[in-house]
Amino acid sequence: MARDDLQLLQGTLDVLVLKSVSRGPRHGYDIARWIRTTTDAELQVEDRALYVSLHRMEERGWLEAEWGATENKRTAKYYQLTPEGRRQLAARTKTWSRYATAVFKILQTA
Amino acid sequence: MARIPGIRRWFRLPSSVERVSDEVEAEVAFHVNERTQELIARGMEPAAARAVAMREFGDVPAARAELEIIGRRRVRQTQRSDWWSDLRQDLRYGVRYLLHAPLFSLLAIVTLALGVGANAAVFGVLKSALLDALPYADADRLVRVYGRWLDGSQERGPLSAGTIRDISERQRSFESLAAFVDRTSDGVYGADDGSRVVKIAWAEPTFFETLGVQVTQGRPFQSEDRGSGLVPLSGGQLGPDTARGVLLTHGAWQRLFGGDSAVLGQDVRINGMPRTVIGLLPADFIGPMGEADFYFAFDLGPVVADPRFARNSQWLALVGRLTPGVSHDVAQRELALIGADLAREHPQSDGSFGLAATPLRDAMLGDTRAPILVVMGSAALVLLIACANLAGALLSRTLSRRKEFAVRLAFGAGRGRLVRQLLTESMVLALAGGAAGMLLATFILSMLRGLALPALPDYVDLSLDGGAVLVMAFLALCTGLAFGTLPALSIDRSNPQGALRDETRSSGESRRSRSLRGVLVAGQIALCVSLLTGAGLLARSLWAMTTAPLGFDADGVLTAIVHLPSRDYPTPEARVRFREQFAEHLRTVPGVDAVAEASMAPTAVSSRVSFAVAGTPPSKDAQPFVLYSIVSDDYFRTLRIPVRGGRTFDTQDRADASPTVVISESMARRYWPAGEAVGARIRIGPDSNSPLIEVIGIVGDVRNDRARPDAEPIAYRSSRQSAGPRAVFLLRTRTDPLALVRSVERELAELDAGLALQRPTMLRALAAEGLAGRRLPVLLLAAFGGLALLVASVGVYAMFSSMTAAREREFGVRMALGSRPRAIAGLVLRQGAKWIVVGLAGGALGIVLVVRLVRDLLYEVSPFDSTVLGAAVVTLFGCAAIALVVPVRRATRVDPMAALRAE
Repeated sequence: MARDDLQLLQGTLDVLVLKSVSRGPRHGYDIARWIRTTTDAELQVEDRALYVSLHRMEERGWLEAEWGATENKRTAKYYQLTPEGRRQLAARTKTWSRYATAVFKILQTA
Repeated sequence: MARIPGIRRWFRLPSSVERVSDEVEAEVAFHVNERTQELIARGMEPAAARAVAMREFGDVPAARAELEIIGRRRVRQTQRSDWWSDLRQDLRYGVRYLLHAPLFSLLAIVTLALGVGANAAVFGVLKSALLDALPYADADRLVRVYGRWLDGSQERGPLSAGTIRDISERQRSFESLAAFVDRTSDGVYGADDGSRVVKIAWAEPTFFETLGVQVTQGRPFQSEDRGSGLVPLSGGQLGPDTARGVLLTHGAWQRLFGGDSAVLGQDVRINGMPRTVIGLLPADFIGPMGEADFYFAFDLGPVVADPRFARNSQWLALVGRLTPGVSHDVAQRELALIGADLAREHPQSDGSFGLAATPLRDAMLGDTRAPILVVMGSAALVLLIACANLAGALLSRTLSRRKEFAVRLAFGAGRGRLVRQLLTESMVLALAGGAAGMLLATFILSMLRGLALPALPDYVDLSLDGGAVLVMAFLALCTGLAFGTLPALSIDRSNPQGALRDETRSSGESRRSRSLRGVLVAGQIALCVSLLTGAGLLARSLWAMTTAPLGFDADGVLTAIVHLPSRDYPTPEARVRFREQFAEHLRTVPGVDAVAEASMAPTAVSSRVSFAVAGTPPSKDAQPFVLYSIVSDDYFRTLRIPVRGGRTFDTQDRADASPTVVISESMARRYWPAGEAVGARIRIGPDSNSPLIEVIGIVGDVRNDRARPDAEPIAYRSSRQSAGPRAVFLLRTRTDPLALVRSVERELAELDAGLALQRPTMLRALAAEGLAGRRLPVLLLAAFGGLALLVASVGVYAMFSSMTAAREREFGVRMALGSRPRAIAGLVLRQGAKWIVVGLAGGALGIVLVVRLVRDLLYEVSPFDSTVLGAAVVTLFGCAAIALVVPVRRATRVDPMAALRAE
């Protein structure tokens, strides 16, 4: 992907990650798989970018993390939303919808 | 985190910076492995699957590096916020714990407040006097040059105009020099709404340039501003009043002209003559001669040119700025050499002089440095005692919490955490005490401002500024650390097992901590004794100084000064006439018994003259100097100074009669040991052609400087024969002297409305001013001694208290077994007495040190004065005894049954 596309994606990626974690504690691989499945592989997310996003949001205090065991008895790092993270998700979802609606309005005109 | 169905184990590892890279590696590895497994499940070859998974991830090493950076940042931030929340918790617990023992906390805070407050106040004084910048540019390069009398009678004396001219021609150490008069003279400023007395300072035009002070408005002095007039050019001679351009100080500008800039360039009437205000001086400026209102510039040329007065009259001070690169020592050495040269070239006038240089700050500090340092030392001692007290008290309290700590240690609390908690508690105490101390200090300083200002140098401003507050906060923190570490350290030594097993036998104090407390108390006692001794010695000196007889009767005498401007009173006859008329008027005031007049009030005589006995060959050594005062006929009678021989002044001593002089006893004894003083003839002043003066009488000694054990010789002239512009009137009154001030002012206004009455004071108060500088350290030291006593008593009380508390059970057992209360009391006393004795022994050492420090300030008191030492020891014993009463009684009152029943 071109470099500037990646930048734009970073902000969007945060929202997607927050959304995917909002359904419950997830580890990074879960999140990557869910995004792929839900968007029918339309959205290509580089795993590296995903993990950077996860760690940054953990640093900002929107996510908290703990190590746990998977069904296969492997240890993985699970992320969950904090109250602040929940607030951020709601706010950004709203912003994104308004953004999309506005762009769509322009593009719909002749 | 919430439980997730299917996930069985959760564990959280404590975050640490070292683990970050392991965790990142694990997380990335997990992801890649999962993807690889997924691809293998889809049918790919393991090796290919892994390669695809790695490629999909992106640049793995770079990713790991980036994630590690973020991770470390996060961990550090968490550690910081954890640290802060732990601290807040410690603070909460600390405050709660202290509130649980309100008496102890209050005592501790008060003790600390006293210690810190005393230090803050002293520091305020110290900083202002010793550390603050003088209001001159680069003040460390400024030096005062003095004449030093080789016979030791004066270390910092004035110089003659000729000496100054020679110094400025021969020296190389100074880039600029300026002469000035080291005191202000009084003048009368005539405004439209009445006359006011103002202070006038005289200096050479280069004065401000040397000090590095700029005018804020207008222009500085130039050589054409030089004049003469109010300053006696030498030996009592007055020059014509020619000074025109004057500089105005900020204070006077505000006070007299309301800060109106229109005064610049205006004429103002001073002493009847118009002067022009040419410039304004900065607000913070104060000259070495003290507070002044106007500065006049003088011209030394005529004085130097006159061979009679160039060298023989010492009346000038000299300040200089060192050339860059020249040190004080070099300048001092050069001046000493010049002084030696001058003594050789002019043995008559300069033979008894040397030259000395002192840094300006030291010169302005005067004699106050030693007392200030002594006081500072005692304040520090008091703080030390307070700290020792608190350390001991906290130590016992910590020991009673051993069980609590043992439990916490067993549950995994780090020792560091416990130590930090104890330190936090100490800090809370220290900061509370510090804050209280700051308040106390502000109060003390405002008290000192009223009491002490006469005793301290002029530029001192007693206040707690930001710097002092900072230092005090620092001091409080250090104090907290100091007495907090002791109990904190005891944690390391604590034996958790033993405490948990509830070994009540050692639930009190171990031998080690008992000794520690004992040492602390002994230390307190030693410091206390030293302090008390120092205070006692100084107090005794002050008492001796105060009660030593003055030589005259100062009670019930009012003094006031009248300054006669030369324009209205240009001739000696006019001045004599004024004196006589005013004295006549004053005698009519009801309540006045006697009226006298003098050029200077007794104990405030500052002029000295040289003299020679006629008939003796002119000596190779320099002439002796005596104090010189010009008095009215009634002076000796009014002040009740006894006449020892001959007569005093009367109507025979007219202006046109032959000059006469009355001398003091010590002068007669010293210079006419065979006793033929009356009738002898002397010459006063440097001029060997001046008329001979006959000694007509001898009067009793008057102690002019109360801090000196002996009375200096004084020579008196009659004011009819030599009347200057400054007259001090002395009224002996039947009633309260101060009540008559208004009447006196009225009489003066009736006689001449252009004159003002200055500084009406009681003579007794004036005489006491001389001792103001001695009084302050004694007061402070006594206060500190009292403080130290209080604090040390508390320490003794606390030590015995905890001792008895620890052994309560034992006492109960003993009493049950038949011991008598007196025996118990004896046990307690014996245990503690050991430390008290050690303290006294240490105190002996302290006394030796203290004596060395205050030796120079003592007056007629031997350094090891038995009364003082005895009083100090007895006082200490007394206070210790009082402090012991409660604990010892408690020990004897232990209920044996209750003690035995306790587990």
